[in-house]
Amino acid sequence: MTTPNGTFDPFDPAGMLKGMRDSNMDAWAKMMVQLVNTDAYSESTAAMLDAWLTTSGPFRKVMETSMAQVMAQINLPTRDDVVRIAERLTNIEIRLDDMEAKLDELHRPAHPGETKE
Amino acid sequence: MTNATPPVEEAPQVPTFSDFCEAWQKSAENWDRFQRLTTTDAKIAQTAKVPIWTLNKAKLYHYVPVVPETERKRIPLLMVFAIMNRPHVLDLRPGHSFTEYMLDLGYDLYLLDWGAPGPEDKNMTFDDYTLEYLPRVVRKVKQVSGCEEFSMLGWCLGALISTMYSALRPDDGLKNLILLTAPLDFTDKTAGGFSRWSSHPAFNADLIVENLGNVPGEMIDTGAKMLKPVENYLGNYLMLWDNIENPGAVDAWHAMSTWVREIIPMAGGVYQQLINDFYKENRLMEGTMTLRGEPVDLKRLKANILNVIAEGDHITPPCQSERVMELIGSQDKDLFRVRGGHIGIMAGRGAEKSTWPHIESWLGTRSN
Repeated sequence: MTTPNGTFDPFDPAGMLKGMRDSNMDAWAKMMVQLVNTDAYSESTAAMLDAWLTTSGPFRKVMETSMAQVMAQINLPTRDDVVRIAERLTNIEIRLDDMEAKLDELHRPAHPGETKE
Repeated sequence: MTNATPPVEEAPQVPTFSDFCEAWQKSAENWDRFQRLTTTDAKIAQTAKVPIWTLNKAKLYHYVPVVPETERKRIPLLMVFAIMNRPHVLDLRPGHSFTEYMLDLGYDLYLLDWGAPGPEDKNMTFDDYTLEYLPRVVRKVKQVSGCEEFSMLGWCLGALISTMYSALRPDDGLKNLILLTAPLDFTDKTAGGFSRWSSHPAFNADLIVENLGNVPGEMIDTGAKMLKPVENYLGNYLMLWDNIENPGAVDAWHAMSTWVREIIPMAGGVYQQLINDFYKENRLMEGTMTLRGEPVDLKRLKANILNVIAEGDHITPPCQSERVMELIGSQDKDLFRVRGGHIGIMAGRGAEKSTWPHIESWLGTRSN
């Protein structure tokens, strides 16, 4: 709308739109921040989340159960089987790390500057 | 007598058809660039580093030193980032990287990347991160650096974990602790959107975890963006469009956007603890927090501490980080307030002129 030297430029529609945008954005942003910081917003978000989880939960459980049955029928591991294996692997990793720590301790010189054979 | 003629005002020039064509072509090129920038990833975290330890999804990296050994600081620095984002923001892009900055000044740097939890990690809690993972990381840092003392820098939830670790293991060699935007005190339930939403009685973290296991990254990302919806969903892209012909601004935007888009889930157990024990019950400040049965007593925290607070932080409002200074047992403690937001104080344009030098000067005098 205005040129760099402050004069009005009727042939710059993009500049005009940008000016309008900038003048409105701040007010809009502040209004939205105020809105999301209200108790009503907190309550409605929590209620929506609750409703979504409560209604979709049973479907998800049915899907998981039937999928587990299908996988068992075709002799393939289920998600739970894979999760259990992954958990066991983590436990093995922890044991290995403990052993490494003990080995480090054994190899550490008793006094700084001394090298252990 | 003077013949002064009044200045003639230049009349606005009427654009020609060729001007319109030129502007149209430029806009089309800019639009292509815009689309490319919003859908592709920039190269981030490029500073050379070597993985020296792994456990489950967590990895510990050692940055390759760039100064001779004689010029290096004696005490290594371990950086612990939050658990819901990747730590690459500490090493965003060459020429604008905290990691690079500290390496150039002779620090022996280590970075802990918690990794992205899988379904098998849904029961992981702060107890595991603080007392199972972090002590092992510390052991490895000491072993590789050959130094029995170390400094630790924790950012956001990384600062929360670091604080609890420091209070639980005060004799583990921690000399200096730097907290960046640490969410520790949730007394004021109206401070910040996260606190307001999650401490609302109707917000049920247990139901979320029961149904979803781990909390999807998209959910956490949406929550963070809804704190300032206009800026995050619109202003961010308008800013890019306005600066699309400025290569410096474009590079900075692309790197930051790449980091922001790399979202990871949060382990279900950690999420439940975060909402129930911290946001709702404020157990750390109340002195009732326990990890694996051990009470977290902040008075036992003895390390030198620098607490960096972002004055414009909408994720961790300043009041969530301030009161810890009264409760810790440290003698040497400093509070540093920086103008800027949660991420901006370390990754924004002004970081290398304000936050980084302050952290370095504080740490430098305590690292030899």
